[in-house]
Amino acid sequence: MAAEAIQKGPLDPRTIISFYHVELRYRDQAALSDVTFSITNGEFVCITGPSGAGKSSVLRLITMDLFPTKGQVVVRGMVSTKMKRSRIPHLRREIGFVFQDFRLLEDRSVYDNVAFAQLVVGVPKAARIKNVMRVLTQVGLWNKRDRLPQQLSGGEQQRVAIARAMVNSPKILLADEPTGNLDPVTAQEIIDLLFRINDGGTCVLFSTHDHEIVKTFGRRVMVVKDGGLVSDEQRRVLDRDQAPRLTDRMYQPEVQRD
Amino acid sequence: MIRPEQMGYLTRESLAGFHRRKLTTGVTILIMSSALLVLALFVLVALNLGMMLERARANVDVRVFLVEGLDAGRTAALQHPFVAIPGIREARFISKDQALVELRRELGDDADVLEVLEENPLPASYHLELAAGHRSPEAVDAIADELRRWPEVEDVVFSRSWVAALGTWARLFRWGSLFVSVVVLVAAVFVISNTVRLTMASSRRVIEVQMLVGATDTFIRTPYLIEGMIHGFLAGALAMGVLMVGHRLLEVRLEGLAFFTPLQMGGFVVFCVTLGLLGSLAAIGQYLRLRRGA
Ligand SMILES: Nc1ncnc2c1ncn2[C@@H]1O[C@H](COP(=O)(O)OP(=O)(O)OP(=O)(O)O)[C@@H](O)[C@H]1O
Ligand SMILES: [Mg+2]
Repeated sequence: MAAEAIQKGPLDPRTIISFYHVELRYRDQAALSDVTFSITNGEFVCITGPSGAGKSSVLRLITMDLFPTKGQVVVRGMVSTKMKRSRIPHLRREIGFVFQDFRLLEDRSVYDNVAFAQLVVGVPKAARIKNVMRVLTQVGLWNKRDRLPQQLSGGEQQRVAIARAMVNSPKILLADEPTGNLDPVTAQEIIDLLFRINDGGTCVLFSTHDHEIVKTFGRRVMVVKDGGLVSDEQRRVLDRDQAPRLTDRMYQPEVQRD
Repeated sequence: MIRPEQMGYLTRESLAGFHRRKLTTGVTILIMSSALLVLALFVLVALNLGMMLERARANVDVRVFLVEGLDAGRTAALQHPFVAIPGIREARFISKDQALVELRRELGDDADVLEVLEENPLPASYHLELAAGHRSPEAVDAIADELRRWPEVEDVVFSRSWVAALGTWARLFRWGSLFVSVVVLVAAVFVISNTVRLTMASSRRVIEVQMLVGATDTFIRTPYLIEGMIHGFLAGALAMGVLMVGHRLLEVRLEGLAFFTPLQMGGFVVFCVTLGLLGSLAAIGQYLRLRRGA
């Protein structure tokens, strides 16, 4: 995706997420301070950094689950400081969210878990079936649609979660350590799936503290440390077939900057 | 807001709490219906007491004794001004002679004592009948006070003591039942809100996912509101049913015992549904605030 378009700044009409001098405090403790960046439509971004650095906080600010104590977050034209609470559901419909622990409804089938997101939004039945079929096929689980989550492997459960996040065709997919509970092979599958979703035009932003993933990731990498954005680099967009694999442990990537 | 294709889902979710926790739901409805039964009982007793009072007051005997020596024309002319006073429905004239006849009849065998009298000592009087709504002790006092100021009136006499006492009791009971009602209502709302909170806690993950994928507050709330309202409805209907059976059994002994009209019964159930709604609103508000505040 048009990698050279990124640094054009907040006035770029293709900007989909922007943070302006964001500070976030939990009571007395600052989780983020003076964080500024913007993300363009269709970008694929990895946020990394040590535990407690503030990665999850960044993602939760984007869904407006949290609000900055200073500064401003703008997502698809919706401004955090002017956001009405009643508008939040509408913002959420444009954002898919995936977690490390999947957060599926254990007592419902794969199909129902995905259809749930459509029901909540009120999509008519015919369209619902079509959409659920589309995303479950995309993640390769249409044939396991009648299973319960606990009858699936971790990777499969995460794919169900991704299907649920994608079924409402969001413009943005956020994933908070989506591979945190998965082995390297499965993790690579999930990253591959995220690439495919990104190829479809969805802006994808995921967090991880897995060094292997970060090393092999050939797109934009933001590093957060102690609540601050310490590095934000655009790597060369590799041809996917040549891209290093997580499973290829011998590979030592050279990080390239723009 | 809520689209037709979401109705089936919402109905299923509303009944999910009942399905998942039959015991808790059963206990909730029992506790709440007991509370409501107490409430309805108090209202019913107050209602019956009020009716008794009204009946007793209908018999309040107000007599206006006239001064001696008024001519027949003047006494008869009092009829109109009496009836013109608000609260007086009827005024019946009782002449000196009639009064004597009445007294004689009342004395019966002892009527001989009257023979010693040279002239009729009894004053002419008016017997007043009060209109409904003007029979309270205060209203009777006010009318009596006004009449006493008339030059034609010697005195006003009425049997007030036990009517007044009954009125006092009825008033005390009304205040007492108001107090009990408030306590019972708070308890009922609390019980319902607690149960709805339990349902919500057991659907924590569902609510979390709903918020995640962009459900509106209305959509998230609706099933729990419906659950609370169903609780209220069942508890109210049960309380009313028990009360009805109780009334049937008592009616055999105590005739003329009043019961709620169908309209009042309907009103009571609607009221219970409202209580259920309030209870679940409280629970939802608290729950969602808690979730957001995290
Ligand atoms: N609800 C909360 N209340 C108080 N402090 C919090 C809360 N959530 C996060 N924090 C603090 O904010 C800081 C950033 O947390 P955050 O969860 O964003 O980090 P993270 O980078 O996602 O960490 P991890 O990799 O462990 O998930 C941490 O110091 C954390 O202790
Ligand atoms: Mg985190």
